[in-house]
Amino acid sequence: MPRETLDRQIHQLQDEVLLLGSMVEQALLNAVDTLKRRDISAAQKIFANDIAINEKRYALENALIIIIATQQPMARDLRLLASVLETIIELERIGDYAKGIAKVVIRLGDSTLPMPMREFSQMAEQAASMLHRALSAFINEDAAKAREIVLEDDQVDELYNKAYRAIVTTMIANPEIIDDANLLVWVAHNLERAADRVTNICERTVYIATGELFELDTDDSEETAY
Amino acid sequence: MNNIFTSPRSILAARHARGKFWRGVFFSSTLIGLIALAALILTILNRAAGLVVITDAVDRNSLAGRPLTELTRPELVTILQDHLTRTRLRTLERNNGPLDSLDEETLINLVMEQVVKPTIRKSYTLAETLFQRAAIEQEIAAMRAETPNLQVEFRSWLNPGFLTRSMSATPELAGVRTAVLGSLWIIAITILVAFPIGVGAAIYLEEYASENRVNRIIQTNIDNLAGVPSIVYGILGLAIFVRTLSHLTSGAVFGIQGSNGRTILSAGLTMALLILPILIINAQEAIRAVPASLRQASYGLGATRWQTIWHHVLPNALPGILTGTILAISRALGETAPLILVGASSLINKDPTGVFSFFTALPIQIYNWTARPQPEFRNIAAAAILVLLVVLLSLNSVAIVLRNRLSKRGT
Amino acid sequence: MTHETNNHYAIETRGVNLYYGNFRAVKDVDLQIVPQKITAIIGPSGCGKSTVLRSFNRMNDFVPSFRMEGEILFHGQNIYAEDVDPVMVRQRIGMVFQKPNPFPKSIYENVAWGARINGYKGNLDELVEQTLRDAALWDEVKDNLKKSGLSLSGGQQQRLCIARALAVKPEIILMDEPCSALDPIATLKIEELMRELSRQYTIIIVTHNMQQAARASDYTAFFTMDDDRAGLMVEYGETHQIFTNPRDQRTEDYITGRFG
Repeated sequence: MPRETLDRQIHQLQDEVLLLGSMVEQALLNAVDTLKRRDISAAQKIFANDIAINEKRYALENALIIIIATQQPMARDLRLLASVLETIIELERIGDYAKGIAKVVIRLGDSTLPMPMREFSQMAEQAASMLHRALSAFINEDAAKAREIVLEDDQVDELYNKAYRAIVTTMIANPEIIDDANLLVWVAHNLERAADRVTNICERTVYIATGELFELDTDDSEETAY
Repeated sequence: MNNIFTSPRSILAARHARGKFWRGVFFSSTLIGLIALAALILTILNRAAGLVVITDAVDRNSLAGRPLTELTRPELVTILQDHLTRTRLRTLERNNGPLDSLDEETLINLVMEQVVKPTIRKSYTLAETLFQRAAIEQEIAAMRAETPNLQVEFRSWLNPGFLTRSMSATPELAGVRTAVLGSLWIIAITILVAFPIGVGAAIYLEEYASENRVNRIIQTNIDNLAGVPSIVYGILGLAIFVRTLSHLTSGAVFGIQGSNGRTILSAGLTMALLILPILIINAQEAIRAVPASLRQASYGLGATRWQTIWHHVLPNALPGILTGTILAISRALGETAPLILVGASSLINKDPTGVFSFFTALPIQIYNWTARPQPEFRNIAAAAILVLLVVLLSLNSVAIVLRNRLSKRGT
Repeated sequence: MTHETNNHYAIETRGVNLYYGNFRAVKDVDLQIVPQKITAIIGPSGCGKSTVLRSFNRMNDFVPSFRMEGEILFHGQNIYAEDVDPVMVRQRIGMVFQKPNPFPKSIYENVAWGARINGYKGNLDELVEQTLRDAALWDEVKDNLKKSGLSLSGGQQQRLCIARALAVKPEIILMDEPCSALDPIATLKIEELMRELSRQYTIIIVTHNMQQAARASDYTAFFTMDDDRAGLMVEYGETHQIFTNPRDQRTEDYITGRFG
């Protein structure tokens, strides 16, 4: 193989993407966990951790540009590197969603209000699991697996709708907690969007493998957001 | 300081010694060549000039009491008429025209030749003249005791007279005019015949001939012919041009009578045959050296094969072809053996007037003179060698100038 | 791309096999060149891409053992038909070579010569100026038309060679690795020039430089060698497709640099 340097650099980059992915995954799970425990200091830690995620994303982007500039990748290599760029941006966004949840935890302080915690936890677990497997499919350029993962987004959407209805019901019952309950809508929204971001990563996996670039068909998540 | 580029002293010394040795070997090869060349030229120069001791059959100063050059034409005519028999005078008039109508120079020459008849008693080489002057003076003094009317003069055997006089049986009156003219005529025929044929053959072989058995055989034969001894070409010329084609080469076809095949035409054609292989091979090299990219560029523009050859291949090959021609001409000019075979004669003193004339040539004359017993012939042979060299060099320089002008064009 | 619309293409090959003696150098090429576009032919050394290019204007005729099967159509006419004059073919389909090879003549003569031997009747001075302008060389040489073509820099020499080809008024210009002897800046200038010329001419370029094919061409044909060392066309398509999403694994391997 005459392109050992490029191959090595791509492998290193993929390892780093996995590392970034696990940071993001952890942040997402932790955020929901802090919400459950209402642990403000832990939430502040997540807040701080997001800076590390952002820095890593920029470091990876920089490394990626250098590989493109020095190795002039073509065809599959080019598609892969372009997809890595897209993927790290998506990962950073998911990190931002975790940060948003942590922010909600801090804003809520010690106010007592009923939360659809079971849905939140399930959504977080589902999104984290999708993210985990999506990255694995991404590294392995496994288009079939990626397509399967996209279908799971429907389950997250369903959970989102459940949580949303529960929060709205609470608000109707106790109009005085509308401000705080509104924050919970944000939590649900963030978790739902995180899963959407995962489907974008899956789209990139299909692009690497097939060279085809299009929106993978789901039960269109954009509508369910409202 | 221990520099990483420093070799151990012993290795360095050995390497330098080896370098010096080989340098020395190559230098001495060059030196030997130079010495040989210098020796050749010095030997020739040594013979070509020097002191001569001359005795006149009739003392030239006693003829009229004054040097010949001061005499008027009628006086010279009178001298001739006084000293020569009537028959002899008639022969002279038949050859040169009425004595009265001749100019002064011719008359002086006739007087010298027919009346004074100077003979060289002794000639000295240039080295002797320069370095053993005292011994020579003594010897001359001894000779003068025996024969009083001795002329001693420093003589360059290569002089204007030598160039303009024709062949003569007496060395001091012999000249190379006939031979030079013969050589030039032959070379002219040779170039006229060999150059177009040679270049044409080279173009065919390089540009047209396909790679097959017949053409390979032709090529091999041309290569071998270049190495065939010149005497073989002489035999060929004798058989074909002198004998078989004598009708043509004697000019009989064109109405010229009383001639045979031993003419300038035969000699020129034989020489053309001789240099043809060299010329073809050289022209082929020159044509092959024209970059293929140039041909492709030409073809790529929709040029035909002939346009490509005429506009690009030939102009770019011409300097190389001319270099080859220079070499070939030098060879032809110096060849003796084939000329002897096709009938060059050293006893001709009539200038060639055309391609059907009998002829002699410079190398023939030189060969002939060196074979004569009288030492003076060796002197004029040396002078003739110098003439040959000059003719050669001037032909070459014309070709070199031509080549340089051609190869400068366009670049 | 089907075989029916043969006049639609600048050049169309049908079942072309090219031989040197008994060796089949290129096999079964079916290629349709789109007019007024730049088509790049890429592939590893020895895949026969130059051989294919040279067969388009019968430059291979000078190789004694060369033989060809199939048809190469130009305006629907097989240029290898019995009654075709290869000289006429080369007037219509010009060529620029790997090494800049101007004639050892003046710049003016370099351009004028081809037109003159082809019986150009118009004003030669105007033709030379126009052609040199088309080749983006006029401003650099207009004061030195008498100077030798060899006195120019490599990139200028190559543009002079392009001008020389243009002066014959061809429809198609074949370029056989025209930038392989040039520095990057001169290379880019030639590429820009090719882009400019493709408004009027069909350009087919053989190149070793994949980036060049990617940058400068509209269509790309990828050739490779078979097990019997015969070259064959693996994939042909629009350049952006070949370089981002080749369909054949062999193209992919070559383009990503993982060939062999």
